[in-house]
Amino acid sequence: MAYQMARNRATTAKEYAINMLKRQVVYDELWALNDVTFDVKRGEVLGVIGANGAGKSTLMKVLAGVLHPTAGRVQVRGSLSPMIEVSGGMNNELTGRENIVMVGTLLGRPPKEMNNRIDAIGEWAGLTDFLGVPLRGYSTGMKARLGFAIATDVKPDVLLIDEVLSVGDEEFKGRSLKRIEYLMDGGTSVVMVSHALPMIEKLCEKAMWLDHGFVKATGPSQDVVVAYKASVKK
Amino acid sequence: MASTSTPVYDSAAPRRPIFDETRSLWSHRSLIRLLVGRDLTVRYKRSVLGVWWTLLNPLLTAAVMWLVFSQIFRRSSEDVPFIVYMLSGILLIATFFAQGVLAAGSSLMSSAGILSKLRVPGEVFAFTAAIAAMVNFAIGMVPLLLIMVLTGTPIPWTVVLTPIPAFAMLGLVTGVGMLIASAAVHFYDVLDFVRVILQLAIWLVPTFYPMDIIPEQFQIIVKLNPLYSYLQVFRGFVYRGEFAPSWNFIYMFGSAVIFLAAGVWIFSKSWRAMVVKL
Repeated sequence: MAYQMARNRATTAKEYAINMLKRQVVYDELWALNDVTFDVKRGEVLGVIGANGAGKSTLMKVLAGVLHPTAGRVQVRGSLSPMIEVSGGMNNELTGRENIVMVGTLLGRPPKEMNNRIDAIGEWAGLTDFLGVPLRGYSTGMKARLGFAIATDVKPDVLLIDEVLSVGDEEFKGRSLKRIEYLMDGGTSVVMVSHALPMIEKLCEKAMWLDHGFVKATGPSQDVVVAYKASVKK
Repeated sequence: MASTSTPVYDSAAPRRPIFDETRSLWSHRSLIRLLVGRDLTVRYKRSVLGVWWTLLNPLLTAAVMWLVFSQIFRRSSEDVPFIVYMLSGILLIATFFAQGVLAAGSSLMSSAGILSKLRVPGEVFAFTAAIAAMVNFAIGMVPLLLIMVLTGTPIPWTVVLTPIPAFAMLGLVTGVGMLIASAAVHFYDVLDFVRVILQLAIWLVPTFYPMDIIPEQFQIIVKLNPLYSYLQVFRGFVYRGEFAPSWNFIYMFGSAVIFLAAGVWIFSKSWRAMVVKL
């Protein structure tokens, strides 16, 4: 997956025209991900670890279909619920209730169906009293709970989690882990990015370590975590 | 659970521009309905003025224009009160076209939050903006008809044909909007340029002023502007009770189709490069 980085990035049309005249439009390519190949079978849980900037978020976006791979191919068989960032598609101006319907629709579930699920989702997230409040009034933790509740409300075939679980309090972490385990039992495949290494070891059978866009190691999560920790200590 | 033999998302799936977009707009119709509905409630529910709010800006402009122009031209060049002439122009060009194009053009940047996290086709947002502009236009027809009644202007049967130029305009707004949206993702000042150009566009067609104040030799420039044809067709239906000359119809539909096709095509081809920058 390559990003084009212009060396002297023209952000306005005027600058671009001037640069073109001066023959200074040069693009460097930043390959955020290189030769990352893996598969996740039904019901498997893959953990993705690595330093900041290693390409983990880019990987999630490519898997979610948000970014198109510059080279290579992504195939996802089944329904996919991505959780990239806490606010995952939610709008601050709308109320909790309106956001539930909107994100649900964005994830492919018709408004009629989502209207019936509002109460259940609000209850699981512990936000029943706040559903009529615009999202602006929610704390980060509340947004995370709501986003997670919406994304996991239906049993997706594939669930992508990008560092979302670190935001909630202990109680939320406990309940979200339970939900993930429930989904895993039901056959959902999970790809999760996290810096919480103990959680990766506990939940994921396989793990993959990304370093500067390359796969440094993959295998049983315990081994990969050990390898990663060892490199950090140096 | 979906069967494991059918890939739901395959990044290598062949893409057919225009065809894919049309199909995705149809399959996302409930999302579009939701977004348009939300846009409307935000606009109308919480305001005291309700329907009149969208027209407030153009109405104020119209009021100023009317004061200025009706002093210079005691009689409008047609048998219609000047206010009706102006409002019809304002409704179509300022409210529908200008606001629609601006909204569609900025739709991607405004929805960048969603588009950078969930796989949603961008054309949904651009099209939603165009539809919202059309709905505002339709709602704005009510005060226009009201004013016609109040000024004693007869309303001809052809007024029921106004959906024809309206849908053509929808195509034009969507197409132009998509072109602008594609550029706006790469360059931040595109939208500022567009705002200025739209102001110009409102003046380049006889929105406020009667056609005959333009000297003969320059009238051709105005007639070359596709928006002129839209105005003629629209005004013809709304108060003249007649069909504008065929060349207006051809120009209207032609420009709508061309801009729509060009807009969707370019949008489709550059989508992958755009999304990276959101």
